[in-house]
Amino acid sequence: MSVQGLAQSRPSSSRSGNWPDSISAMRADEPRFFGAGVLLVFMLVPITLAMAIDDRIFNGINVWDKPLKFEIALIVYLFTLAYFARWLPGGMLKSRRYRVFSWVVVSSVALEMIWIAGAAANGTGSHFNVSTPFMAAVYPLMGLLAVTLTSASLVYAIAIHRNRAAGLDPAFRLSLVLGLGMTFVLTVVVAGTMSGMPGHWVGGVPSDQGGMAGMGWARDGGDLRVAHFFATHCLHLVPLAGYVASRHLGSIAAMRSVVAAAIVVGSLVLFTYVQALLGMPFLPVIGGLNG
Amino acid sequence: MQFDPDAAFQIASAIAASGWILLLASPLMPIWSQRLSGQAIPLLLAAGYCALVLAYWSRGEGGFDSLDNVAALFRSRELLLAGWVHYLAFDLFVGAWEARTARREAIAFVLVIPCLILTFLFGPVGLLLFSAIRFARRSGKAIEVEGMKP
Repeated sequence: MSVQGLAQSRPSSSRSGNWPDSISAMRADEPRFFGAGVLLVFMLVPITLAMAIDDRIFNGINVWDKPLKFEIALIVYLFTLAYFARWLPGGMLKSRRYRVFSWVVVSSVALEMIWIAGAAANGTGSHFNVSTPFMAAVYPLMGLLAVTLTSASLVYAIAIHRNRAAGLDPAFRLSLVLGLGMTFVLTVVVAGTMSGMPGHWVGGVPSDQGGMAGMGWARDGGDLRVAHFFATHCLHLVPLAGYVASRHLGSIAAMRSVVAAAIVVGSLVLFTYVQALLGMPFLPVIGGLNG
Repeated sequence: MQFDPDAAFQIASAIAASGWILLLASPLMPIWSQRLSGQAIPLLLAAGYCALVLAYWSRGEGGFDSLDNVAALFRSRELLLAGWVHYLAFDLFVGAWEARTARREAIAFVLVIPCLILTFLFGPVGLLLFSAIRFARRSGKAIEVEGMKP
């Protein structure tokens, strides 16, 4: 059965209004993740306006650059999980245990965002900031919340792995399970390494000024944010390969392709991780936006 | 580019003024005047207020706990602007509610015009007048709160 065919096999009662079916399905399946994502989209307006009127600089760039990046990343994460929720066992989504977990994840996202935006409003740093007793006490707590919100990808990996009833193409299901699982494991490893260090830079000037266009990654030294980015995006990269493979290849070739894609993406994370720890920039040839 | 509170004041005031003009024309366009003056414009001003507080609150002095502290707060030009945008947003929101309520309760628009003008100029005075008109019209009848049965 094709991936597309499955998405269309849902009961029509979960659809509503003028929204495209896939968006209505996201809201019907995971209203908390979907709603939190929409809320964050609306909050892009004041954050972007604040960026436009604030002249304060942190690490060489506007203080609101970081909250904006985190907000976009969390929107993508929440919408992705809300989309993947269609492949969880139907009973699980309705279960009390899952709904409590889902609220805990959304609360973690909210607190993380308040911490990061609050630090920016005060013109100071969030991660790595131990300059006051309060911020020093909050930082490890936020690490715990970050692991909690990332654990949703592990929970999804396990649940989709167990859900034989979804009728998913085996290669595509494997790609979802591997991608989601890798997102949790690799993100925790990379982010955990970072949190044990005074910052995400290794060598080079500890500033975002002159960082890589769009991403801000260091061009004069190592930057663990590169590996964090690819680790967290495993849940997109591997399923994307699985989707293409399941549509165009035979079942065995598709399975092999998915495993190969997981190895390639995992190697990319490992490569960028080691590269950063050795103090080497990722792609210094890609110029900076601001100098 | 440096943020210019004076230019922002002009822009915010022009946006709010256009909202009030729409409310004065609301008998001609009851739905769109509500969409714009009752929702879009107050929310746009609210987003601007939010941005001002995010960017400048931590640099201000004072607080809400005494008149001296409120005065200290407004010594920051950006927070003074935020305070003004707060007026603009909430006054317009109340004005739109007056126009909407008057229409639902079939209050003649000629009575609403002075309420809108007073709400625009002196916020609470307009709200008082509008409420007085409502109470006068229904004196002796049961009081109904919006959305709730008496």
